[in-house]
Amino acid sequence: MTKTRGGLGTTVVMTLVALLWISPLVLLVITAVRPLSDFIANGPLSWPGTFTFDNFADAWGIGNFATTYRNSLILLVLKVPLGVFISAMLAFALAKLRIRFGTAIMYTVFLGLTIPIYITIVPVFVMARSAGITDSLIGLIGPYLAFGIPFEVLVLQSFFRQLPDEILEAARIDGAGAWRTFLTIALPLSAPALVTVFILDAVATWNEFLFALILLNSDAHKTIPVGLLNFQGQFSNNNTGLAAGILIAVVPILVAYTFLQRWIVGGLTAGASKG
Amino acid sequence: MRRREGLAAWVFAAPALIVYFVFLVYPALSSLWFSFTDWDGLSPGYNTVGLDNYKDMASDPVVRQAAVNNLIWAVVTVVVPVVLGLVLAVVLNGKVRGKPVLRLIFYTPAVLPLVSVASIWGWLYNPQYGAINAALRAVGLDSLAQPWLGQDSTALGATMVAAIWLRVGFPMLLYLAALQGISPDLYEAATVDGASRWQQFWHITMPGLKPAHYVVIALSVIDSFKVFDLIYAMTYGGPGTATQVMGTWMYFNVFQYNQAGYGTAIAVVITVVAVAVSIPYVRSQTKEHAI
Amino acid sequence: MNRRGFLGLSGAAALATGLAACTGSSSSDRAGGSGTGSKTLRLFTYEDNSTIDLLKAQVKAFDEKNGTTTTVDSLPGSGAAVYPDKLRTELLGGKGPDVWRIWGGQIGAPFVDAKQAADLSAFYTKFGWDSKLSPAAVEGMTFDGVKGGVPFIGAGIGGWYSKAAFSKAGISAPPKTYAELEAANAKLVAAGITPASLGGKYGWDIMRLFEYLLEVSAGPGLHDKLLVGAESWDRPEVVTAFTNFKKWQDQKWLPEGAVGLDPADVENWYVQGKAAYTLTGAWTEAQGIQAAGKKSEDFGVFQLPTDQSQARHSGFVEGYMVNAKSGNPDMAAALIDFLIQPASLEAVKVTNAIVAGAEPDKAALPLSYEWSQGPGKQPFYTIQDQALPKKQADQYFAIQSNVLQGKTTPADAAKKMQDVIKAWKK
Repeated sequence: MTKTRGGLGTTVVMTLVALLWISPLVLLVITAVRPLSDFIANGPLSWPGTFTFDNFADAWGIGNFATTYRNSLILLVLKVPLGVFISAMLAFALAKLRIRFGTAIMYTVFLGLTIPIYITIVPVFVMARSAGITDSLIGLIGPYLAFGIPFEVLVLQSFFRQLPDEILEAARIDGAGAWRTFLTIALPLSAPALVTVFILDAVATWNEFLFALILLNSDAHKTIPVGLLNFQGQFSNNNTGLAAGILIAVVPILVAYTFLQRWIVGGLTAGASKG
Repeated sequence: MRRREGLAAWVFAAPALIVYFVFLVYPALSSLWFSFTDWDGLSPGYNTVGLDNYKDMASDPVVRQAAVNNLIWAVVTVVVPVVLGLVLAVVLNGKVRGKPVLRLIFYTPAVLPLVSVASIWGWLYNPQYGAINAALRAVGLDSLAQPWLGQDSTALGATMVAAIWLRVGFPMLLYLAALQGISPDLYEAATVDGASRWQQFWHITMPGLKPAHYVVIALSVIDSFKVFDLIYAMTYGGPGTATQVMGTWMYFNVFQYNQAGYGTAIAVVITVVAVAVSIPYVRSQTKEHAI
Repeated sequence: MNRRGFLGLSGAAALATGLAACTGSSSSDRAGGSGTGSKTLRLFTYEDNSTIDLLKAQVKAFDEKNGTTTTVDSLPGSGAAVYPDKLRTELLGGKGPDVWRIWGGQIGAPFVDAKQAADLSAFYTKFGWDSKLSPAAVEGMTFDGVKGGVPFIGAGIGGWYSKAAFSKAGISAPPKTYAELEAANAKLVAAGITPASLGGKYGWDIMRLFEYLLEVSAGPGLHDKLLVGAESWDRPEVVTAFTNFKKWQDQKWLPEGAVGLDPADVENWYVQGKAAYTLTGAWTEAQGIQAAGKKSEDFGVFQLPTDQSQARHSGFVEGYMVNAKSGNPDMAAALIDFLIQPASLEAVKVTNAIVAGAEPDKAALPLSYEWSQGPGKQPFYTIQDQALPKKQADQYFAIQSNVLQGKTTPADAAKKMQDVIKAWKK
């Protein structure tokens, strides 16, 4: 009972702010549900004369989503858990194990955040070519992992540092090795951070454009962001199709986010009771 | 014992470090070399020119403009999203209805491909038909209606508004995660002691978020130094060169003007500045470590 | 047009390929590089989803006749920004396409300069292309005397207008002189209509207005010399052009804040009734007027009046090039010859072909037909986002932007342009 009473004023304010916040997105949704002819005839900010859901079916075909969805999902499933896991390992070593050159590693990893991705594409392309993995999803995994690592390590190590040393010490006295401490104590206790990093990394992977554009050639291997190029013509854009295509592309990420955010805000208690 | 743990630490660190060195550090270092050459980015040959590229930057008016823009951009797009994100996180961690929906709404812009972000804001900012000027005129503020993206004086500000819209979800998410690490017992005890919400925020929440502040601010600063794609998409560096930042100017030089050597030198400068800025952060993180 | 639009991130490809070349494992190691009998070809193009399947059908027909296997890859999208860089990657990366589509001017030139594209003179003779293709268009695919490409599309920029807007403002016929155009603008503004919708977000397409004003004040001879740096820009004709340019913005003959507008957004304003006309090419009939569900008869097209004895408009060409390292250049050229036959062009719905016998369909695209029979036959000057290298073009556009905002006077602008061209030619 106190819950709703205490929150009423805040709820009203937040709802208004939220409405303002999504208002630009309304444009995207409206564009997606109007015929292209109506869009061209009246411009983006007019109210549609008619509504249609045909754009979604058309966009599915134009964007080659049957293929690009599969490819992006494969990348997501292969890359994100692996990237978060190895980053967590490194972060754990930095935060809780006595690793030599820890400071040097921290600086080096931080450096990675500042490197513009397009500067490295040169040698990456050459490496992929000599390894014969251009035009394949496998060739993307290495660079994708590498560019996710700095961010993930920095966030995770900061969270690991907050874990009380006593808990880890107790585990050690119980005879747990570094692995068991990591897997059964550090990771569960850091669930909110892991999920946060997972979401951010998933979004970055899902939307990555540059490496995918340069390394992939054939339609069969393209990912969603490269497929979205299909909505642009030389002289005119299929704006309504593109809007529908973008909604098709972002919905799974938003759904995943909605489910995962429970873990962010509910994570610690679950972990603590286990520990 | 200690040595064994040292070894274990390297086992933990190795996978990520190997991937990181092979696919990021090595490519970045091999590009670094080109900043000392006059390579055009196309031809097989090039000459080494020593520090000429770096000297040229000093006399490039666009570099000066870009540096100023970067500075403004860094201050505004770090402070505003971080403060807003913190407020949102605290509010959405407290007593509000519809929290999952609200969290979704504030995070959604961050998920959109930049093509759509640029289009949407371009439509909103349109001087004659855009929603923003229409709203201003509707409330009688006709004099405030501007060609937002079409004049040097407002273009950068206009892109920053879009950046704030886009980026608030990021600190919000990190703060939300960090808030879970603060024990509810502390708040209960404070409430019993008669501390107000405001006092609780300053004496419990803020200190408890200290590690998160470091992470959020450091990452935001780096992100704002690297700004490239949003400006490229929204204004293409224009009008003229009014919204060029170091990131876009580097990109134009390397990939569009066939001046790969010069562009790489700009990238090196961006990186050096970002590393310098990050020193206090890394210190703060490793200090506790050196027990 | 949409090239140089967003998503140009791919420029990285150029750098990538450059490094590939540096590391020594260059393109000579491509498989099948030996022998002339290779029966597999690869065609790379930027056809979008509305025509790519039609093109593939034509290529299939060619394959069936010749016993070849041709792969068609397309990278649609914002044209020149993405596509040429990706093409460069493929060429230096080891297995470039045998045939590729490309624009003329400064976009196609580097491929010929770098000898990545074959000299096609022999095939011009063999297939008699000189007599089939418009000479002006062939000129646009000739670089330093080398016939490096086969043009099949020529697009000219004209004034596309709404008849309703003109009649509302009391304009009975399209302008025949520059003075009449200015008078028409004034009438349109008086009637509450924005005359010309152009946007300058990427530099283009507002430069279509400036290049026209320059043609008006400088005339064909001087205009051409200015573009190659043979004459100084610091001269009254150029100042006049900049002065007029500023006048267009000050008199509200352009949309408010035009330099910040995305051309893709404003190009259709004349169709939407938000402006009277725009400066664009014949593609607007199908992709603007008809795509909006409107009738061609409610719109019109006029050649921008230059008051010069020789009437010209700006334009650009597109064509095919052949890989200098193609495994079977004869077959590649034969494929091109097949694709530029009027029947093939019609099948892939090309409406601005410069090939004899492939004019736009008079019934379906009356305005495009009208253009092709009139101004379309006249010589053109290279559209100015293709006449200069990208760096100089961007500096040119920055000066234009400063003039429109009143930050640079027309006289200073002319001086600055001269500095830009001088530095380029040095």
